[in-house]
Amino acid sequence: MAVQTFLFASLIFFSSSIESNHGATEVSLFTNLENSLEVTAKPTRVGVVVLEAGKDMVRITWMLKSSAKVNDDASFKTVEVKLCYAPISQVDRPWRKTHNELSRDRSCPHKIVSKPYDKIPQSLNWTIDRETPTGTYFVRVYGIGVNGQEVAYGQSSDAEKTTNLFSVEGISGRHTSLDIASICFSVFSFGTLLVFLVKEKRKANLQQRK
Amino acid sequence: MASNEEGSIGTSLHGVTAREQVFSFSVDSSSQTLQSDDPTAKFTLPVDSEHRAKVFKPLSFAKPHMRAFHLGWISFFTCFISTFAAAPLVPIIRDNLDLTKTDVGNAGVASVSGAIFSRLAMGAVCDLLGARYGTAFSLMLTAPTVFSMSFVTGPVGYLAVRFMIGFCLATFVSCQYWTSVMFNGKIIGLVNGCAGGWGDMGGGVTQLLMPMVFQVIRLAGATPFMAWRIAFFIPGFLQVVVGVLVLTLGQDLPDGNLSTLQKSGQVSKDKFSKVFWFAVKNYRTWILFVLYGFSMGIELTINNVISGYFFDRFNLKLQTAGIVAASFGMANFFARPFGGYASDLAARLFGMRGRLWILWIFQTVGALFCIWLGRASSLPIAILAMMLFSVGTQAACGALFGVAPFVSRRSLGLISGLTGAGGNFGSGLTQLLFFSTSRFSTADGLSLMGAMAVLCTVPVAFIHFPQWGSMFLRPSSDGERSKEEYYYSSEWTEEEKRQGLHEGSIKFAENSRSERSRKVALADFPTPETRTPTHV
Repeated sequence: MAVQTFLFASLIFFSSSIESNHGATEVSLFTNLENSLEVTAKPTRVGVVVLEAGKDMVRITWMLKSSAKVNDDASFKTVEVKLCYAPISQVDRPWRKTHNELSRDRSCPHKIVSKPYDKIPQSLNWTIDRETPTGTYFVRVYGIGVNGQEVAYGQSSDAEKTTNLFSVEGISGRHTSLDIASICFSVFSFGTLLVFLVKEKRKANLQQRK
Repeated sequence: MASNEEGSIGTSLHGVTAREQVFSFSVDSSSQTLQSDDPTAKFTLPVDSEHRAKVFKPLSFAKPHMRAFHLGWISFFTCFISTFAAAPLVPIIRDNLDLTKTDVGNAGVASVSGAIFSRLAMGAVCDLLGARYGTAFSLMLTAPTVFSMSFVTGPVGYLAVRFMIGFCLATFVSCQYWTSVMFNGKIIGLVNGCAGGWGDMGGGVTQLLMPMVFQVIRLAGATPFMAWRIAFFIPGFLQVVVGVLVLTLGQDLPDGNLSTLQKSGQVSKDKFSKVFWFAVKNYRTWILFVLYGFSMGIELTINNVISGYFFDRFNLKLQTAGIVAASFGMANFFARPFGGYASDLAARLFGMRGRLWILWIFQTVGALFCIWLGRASSLPIAILAMMLFSVGTQAACGALFGVAPFVSRRSLGLISGLTGAGGNFGSGLTQLLFFSTSRFSTADGLSLMGAMAVLCTVPVAFIHFPQWGSMFLRPSSDGERSKEEYYYSSEWTEEEKRQGLHEGSIKFAENSRSERSRKVALADFPTPETRTPTHV
């Protein structure tokens, strides 16, 4: 029994050390990326403060920056457009933390679209996904190279992520049918308890009288 | 002879929380049999003079004893499911309600705080209305709070609902009370260990159940933000069903239900103020309060944070994180009864000193593995550390209730209730300190919590019984103070002793002689003065 436990433990230990040796490929860092894309993201409804998930649309455009060198975009074949959290939506929420290592970065979890890259400016009218949580966002576009790794990026906000942000209000998830079901079940629960109490009290009184 | 049936207090967990014959002043066992109109005099299991079962058959559902056992632990299990149902779904809930880490942490604290008060109140409810109604109240009055998750829109509502759901953890008290009136003292240790451990498993099962239910509801077409609300209907519904089962199939006492029985003479209650005073005055109560806060307390905390930890740190899917988290709670199935058994075994060899050492060893080892869990950066190591941590901590819970029944005889029920409340207090405290702010990452929080648990387990060295010693000190050599009778009768005033109210404590003292180590017990075999001669 002890021998088996020891073997099991050593198996776990070795498998874990094997795992850590697999990091042979180079780690992709955000600071290594070229900011060669110009991205804009504007709500289509004018003068609106908070956009509604599932209803409102955002017009996203991206193109190579005019200041970029001629062949800067030769290396990427696809673009990935992502919805990213602004710093205000990251406060006290470590599950949305920004990480320089792109594989560990949690600040851009929502993928909007993934498209092959034409060398011309592209745009998209995107209806905010219904599952988007409440928060403040900006849009970032990654240029993906042939090996699937990010090589360049662009974002609709500035480097400090303070300008051109837009707020989204997520759906509540509530529904009248749920509310009604909840009330019905609660009444049933209370009611059943009451019925039992009354019944047993009556039975006890009858017994006493006998 | 009488000590044979009355419940040999040499077993652990004797009469945990039970307001049993301790407070009855008739020592003669036959007068404690209740008059009954109920045609339940025939029992499937062998019973003692109080109709409490002498045998524990876990696979049987025989009325009334085994049925009470199963209804009891299933009720407790269901309540654990409801209380921690939110934990594995937090990654979804926090996006729906726009919660911060502080909000999530505070709700976790709230979920265990309500039970501090409801556990204390449950003892009284069981006395007045019987264990059946105590359990049913707990289940069916909190079921509406579970359903009300469908109304929650923000952090305040979320916290309020989790707080109210947490009240149902009082079923711990009613469950242990129920088994204590149904099972003889010789086996009550194992019975209560099983009931406690199997109930605690609910905290593990919920980590599996809720993500699965959530997934099924999503597949049926609901959005995530609605699916998690619908998922809460499952534990709520379970509570109602089990509540109905308890009321229809259960029975308060071996002879029938409380309301149909004549309560003649048996329930001569002790004064609550006295019971309270002696519980509070005894410093050991407070050491146990702290100890349980760092065994059961950290177990409750882990139930709230571990699923989210594996989801966030190791990037597991919601269901996978749930499976890993569930294995923590599931270990309770054997770990807690094992702890109680180990405590009993240590007592046989080394007496009470053995029990204290076992408690310290299990709890410290568990806490050390908790520190390791926080440090582990690879998934297999984290899982291994978590499993070892779970066994250590849960065995410590079982071992603690091997010591608790001996701290006091007069205030036994209240001390068990206070200890139980200490568990919830410890959980609230650790969640508040380590998991409610962004000051520490969850990983650091785990390690710090383990370190704090190691420190707070040290006080067990200060639990000293004059008649049995402590971890480092021998029993008192003073002729009078080294007797068990002296310790237990010091809880009664002279006036009460003159009235003979302390007779139950004296009987208990005699039976507790088993807590002396084997060497001492053998040496001391010549009958002490206070013992009634059996062969006359």
